Amino acid sequence: MSSGLNRNKWEPYIWLLPSLLLIAIFVIFPILIVFKLSFSEISKAGVVKGFIGFDNYIEAVNLPAFKTVMLNTLWWVLSVVILSTLLGFIIALVLNQKFHGRKIARSILVFPWATSLVIQASVWNYIIKAEYGNLNNVLLNLGIIQQAINWRSSYQIEFVWECWVGIFVTVPFVTFCVLSGLQSIDESLYESATVDGAGFWQKLWHITIPMVRPSLTVSTVLNIIYVFNSFPIVYTMTKGAPAHKTDTMITYLYMLSFYERKKGPATALSVIGFLILCLCAGIYMISVMRKEENL
Amino acid sequence: MRFPELKQQNRRMFLLLLLGLILSLILMSLPLYSFDVGVYTKKSANTFVGDKKFQAVRQEVEAVAEDYRAQGFNVEISENVLERVNSKGETTSLITFTVSERYSRNFFSFLGKGLPSSTVLTLVLALMAASVLFAVIGLRRTEDVVHFSLDSRAKTLRGLAVAAVLLAMLLIPVFILMNNVTFSRQLSLYNSELITEGKEAFFGKLDRFLFDGKMGEDIQDVLAGLQIAHSGMIWLLIPTLFISLVAAIGLRNGEIKSGLLRGLMYFFIVIVCLITLYPYYVMTITAFRSNAESLDMHFLHLFPTKWIWSNLTDIINRGVPRYLLNSVFVAGGATALAMLCGIPAAYAMARMNFVGKKAFLGFVIMSQMFSPVVLLIGISQLMNTLHLNNTLWGLMLINAAFNQAFAIWLLRGTFVSISSEMEQAAMIDGCNTVQALTKVLIPVAMPGIVTALIFVFINAWNEYTIATVLISTAQNRPITVGITQFSSFNMIEWQYMFAASLLATIPVVILFMSIEKHLTAGLTSGGVKG
Amino acid sequence: MKKKLFALFLIAALVLCMVPAAFAADDEITLDVIICQYGNNTNEWFERGGKGMDGSNFVEKFEAANPGIKLNLEVVSWNDVHQEVDTRIANNNAPDILNLDTFSEFLPDNLLLPVKDYCPDALFEDFFPAFMEDFLVDGEYWAVPDLASARALYYNVDMLEEVGVEVPTTWAELKDVSQAIIDFYDGEVYPWGIDMTTDEGQAAFAYYAWGNGGGFIDENGEWALNSDENVEAIEYAISLVNDGYTNPNPATQTRYDLQDMFAAGKLAMMIGPNSIPTYVAEKGGEINMATAGLPANEGNTSSSVGVKDVMMAFRDDSAPDQAARNEAIGKFMQFFYDPVNYVDWVSMEGFLPAVNSAVSALVEADPSFEAWLDILATCKFYPTSKAEWAQVRQGVTTVEQDALTGADVRAGLDALQAEVTK
Repeated sequence: MSSGLNRNKWEPYIWLLPSLLLIAIFVIFPILIVFKLSFSEISKAGVVKGFIGFDNYIEAVNLPAFKTVMLNTLWWVLSVVILSTLLGFIIALVLNQKFHGRKIARSILVFPWATSLVIQASVWNYIIKAEYGNLNNVLLNLGIIQQAINWRSSYQIEFVWECWVGIFVTVPFVTFCVLSGLQSIDESLYESATVDGAGFWQKLWHITIPMVRPSLTVSTVLNIIYVFNSFPIVYTMTKGAPAHKTDTMITYLYMLSFYERKKGPATALSVIGFLILCLCAGIYMISVMRKEENL
Repeated sequence: MRFPELKQQNRRMFLLLLLGLILSLILMSLPLYSFDVGVYTKKSANTFVGDKKFQAVRQEVEAVAEDYRAQGFNVEISENVLERVNSKGETTSLITFTVSERYSRNFFSFLGKGLPSSTVLTLVLALMAASVLFAVIGLRRTEDVVHFSLDSRAKTLRGLAVAAVLLAMLLIPVFILMNNVTFSRQLSLYNSELITEGKEAFFGKLDRFLFDGKMGEDIQDVLAGLQIAHSGMIWLLIPTLFISLVAAIGLRNGEIKSGLLRGLMYFFIVIVCLITLYPYYVMTITAFRSNAESLDMHFLHLFPTKWIWSNLTDIINRGVPRYLLNSVFVAGGATALAMLCGIPAAYAMARMNFVGKKAFLGFVIMSQMFSPVVLLIGISQLMNTLHLNNTLWGLMLINAAFNQAFAIWLLRGTFVSISSEMEQAAMIDGCNTVQALTKVLIPVAMPGIVTALIFVFINAWNEYTIATVLISTAQNRPITVGITQFSSFNMIEWQYMFAASLLATIPVVILFMSIEKHLTAGLTSGGVKG
Repeated sequence: MKKKLFALFLIAALVLCMVPAAFAADDEITLDVIICQYGNNTNEWFERGGKGMDGSNFVEKFEAANPGIKLNLEVVSWNDVHQEVDTRIANNNAPDILNLDTFSEFLPDNLLLPVKDYCPDALFEDFFPAFMEDFLVDGEYWAVPDLASARALYYNVDMLEEVGVEVPTTWAELKDVSQAIIDFYDGEVYPWGIDMTTDEGQAAFAYYAWGNGGGFIDENGEWALNSDENVEAIEYAISLVNDGYTNPNPATQTRYDLQDMFAAGKLAMMIGPNSIPTYVAEKGGEINMATAGLPANEGNTSSSVGVKDVMMAFRDDSAPDQAARNEAIGKFMQFFYDPVNYVDWVSMEGFLPAVNSAVSALVEADPSFEAWLDILATCKFYPTSKAEWAQVRQGVTTVEQDALTGADVRAGLDALQAEVTK
């Protein structure tokens, strides 16, 4: 698509400059500081001492909760990204149909996106309280349950709730990305497929999915990053309790830094997380973009 | 399909519609509701069967039962003995006596009793009747049509039939809810004197419903321990009405299969919307509750007994408008700046060839890979150096920078999807690159730009972590940080927190809804060619 | 056109950088103060623009009374305060005055200013001597107490009467009473409140360990986390949960949740601070409540648990006139602890005072304070002056939470002890 509007070879860089400066100063500089800190000794109060090599990394990897937290993070990212992509995709397919009240339905669906995560997490926290939570109230009044249920009776269930809130806030983003992809599909493609005798599943598999794949790529890459780095949901709902069993990497390193005051390992952990993300998102992007080639 | 076949199919659909409705009516006539009345429970601790205390309590309970029997109740007494040995080796016991009689009622006994659920039920029945009516008139009109397509009036009529059935179906849970609210929650509110307004009228209605108004003054005693229960069969009303819904859609669209699919689709949409709105319902009702009611341990209130509007004025007096203004300033400024920097970059990425293009894209994505929580120390150090600590400007710059990735990615996609022919033509006419961008491309790409704008605005509006550390005076707090003052060490004031949250959410939602159209249009181009 | 655009960027960037860089006048001292958010009126009482202190606020009143000193005071929520303080310290930008629950983590880096450098003698004499003892490390006082709270057992009088039981004083009795309550109310009422959340787990440790003759430290002041008494105590607390005598989710149900349940008559007994009656009243609860000592294990005496928070001043080597800065900090302290202001604040927050001069006024306003002051005098406090305190506090919480999911208490405490003393 690039038609080469630039007249000299430096011009593109001038166009990029403001953005580049903004990112370099306000994002890359802090990132570099994190890298530096991860190789430094940091006192309990946060005073930065000298260079200590890889000690922080070694300590971080050997933390007792390290394995649990990494597994949690994996589950967290996988379940939230996959389920919200799936749900978002289905909802988008439905919302792409013509029906009365479609505009209202779309507007409603956008709500969770427009509300800050701290608030969302607080509301859900309030909803699922066993003693005065609204969920029990509604279900009791509907006669579906006869007694108030303890909705968070074990840490596994609490973790499921956290994932649910994660999905709840991520679905709208996926839905709208997919919807946009769906809208660009030419109706005539479906019509000719129908003439050829293709059923619903065949059309879905051979027309719809390939056509929305690029939109899904965008939403998936960004979701992986955002979900991995998501902090407020877990922190507001459980603070990782009991004993880091519901912590994800980002909340764990927060607890490590500010509650246990192991600031060095916490910083090292954040760099490890960054590298993992780079690897995952990088592999995903390269593999997908190679297919498209129209970058 | 020829006309006679269509006619036959229409008949079948209509019969199916009737079948669903008749099944529903049959269910409604079953005694699905049961009421335990005259319930009296007496517990006595450290009492042993046969001892003095036991005899005394037993007599007391007998007296109550006798009293009920004198009023014509067929009550029974049951007793339950629980004995345990405690850590000191002493035996302790607890005896529970219960007195009660059970009554059964069907749906139709609710009609015309003036209860909230009576109104709902009337509405349901009216809607069911209306759906038949609409379908019949709609069918009539098809009989005159030679071709198998419906005329627009028939279509509207049959559409109305669909809407009527759908609405009736949705009202069933409301009916169930209303009954439970009346007979357990509201009743216990009156019994415990938590509300006193309209008490006599309320008990009068229950008397008429259960005993044809014979109880009079005694009704309050009789109902003191009322327990309502309904059979699980009640939920079968949803599938039976769903049959009618499918038939009604079938009548309109012609096929049973499409009727089923669309019926399921409506069902799905309604469920998704309800789940999505649920937390907002909770936020709203909590925001207008009194502090006392916000912890409703006995699940008495689905809605506030009294809407406390002063919660809003309270939070307004505690700095919320200032915080909102700060947020508008920061989010607005960050959005403007992100666009000012992002549009040229995206333009270069979309339209120009240069070395390091992919590297730049990678660089941009990479800038997103650290959570702000992790970068706090670096950001704060930077802000100290730039003398931007505790300023809204600093917050604005940070937000703009953190949203570059999204803006550039989205805008680049939009630009790529727009043909460059127009710009090339403009440049041949003597425009320079900047003019080609501002005069030609930007107007065309407006939907995409609006989309990116909204994305950045919302992200900046919702940013919390960096603001907590950067901002250190009350005057400069954005709303996300301002809200935290309602959950302090001593007390969480849920009602204030959610009222402030609603105030913080509403502007964004309105903004969002107003550009919902552009959003899909914009992302189309952004996504597909991305 | 293009150049114009870039000029615009440049100007915008310059303006953005210039605006906030306003410089303060030379002879003026600005103090950065961070106060923790105790209650729902803390912001209104302290912060500029607030109306919580006689229609005005601390900052404006202080500045009016002390010309030449400006306050840059921020009330921060407990959730965010460590994050903010640590970030500032890492950037060499520590606040001048900080209010927090601990101070020991700042000692190793020599960040704090000794109390004698800024605190006027008269004020120093005014602090409860028993409180000050804990702030003495290496022959120097490093912080002053800002307030205290004592914890007692609150119980629902009507409930216990109805069930026909007495307030438990021993652990065995506690289980009996709990079983009786469960039986009587069919499990609708939780007999006993336990809070082992991430922010309060150390309190649970103290309640049970101290009631069993154990504790955080031994008589020599060394960490003794894995003593037999402690293991038994935590196992007992966990058994209360496992027997179903407590609120169902101790790892995530905070003290607010417990207080809410107590206020609604859903919880029969809980351990809490003296602010509970006010809390319950504000939440609209009408609970007939009374206090008692914490139950202890057979053969041990119960001791109340006290919590005291601190005010401290940080060094700032870059300040041009150290003496003037110290004097300004002193003036802040004097103004804050001035009975007129301090009594108003402590009674608003519903805590107990830390200075003698406030006692008479507080007792006059609310006679129930006297009983609490007596309890305070017999309280045990956390060993906050030990440098590992933050780690221990988090560590015991983790052990408790681990035990809730079935892990071995002894192994957990052994590991913690080994880590802390290594």
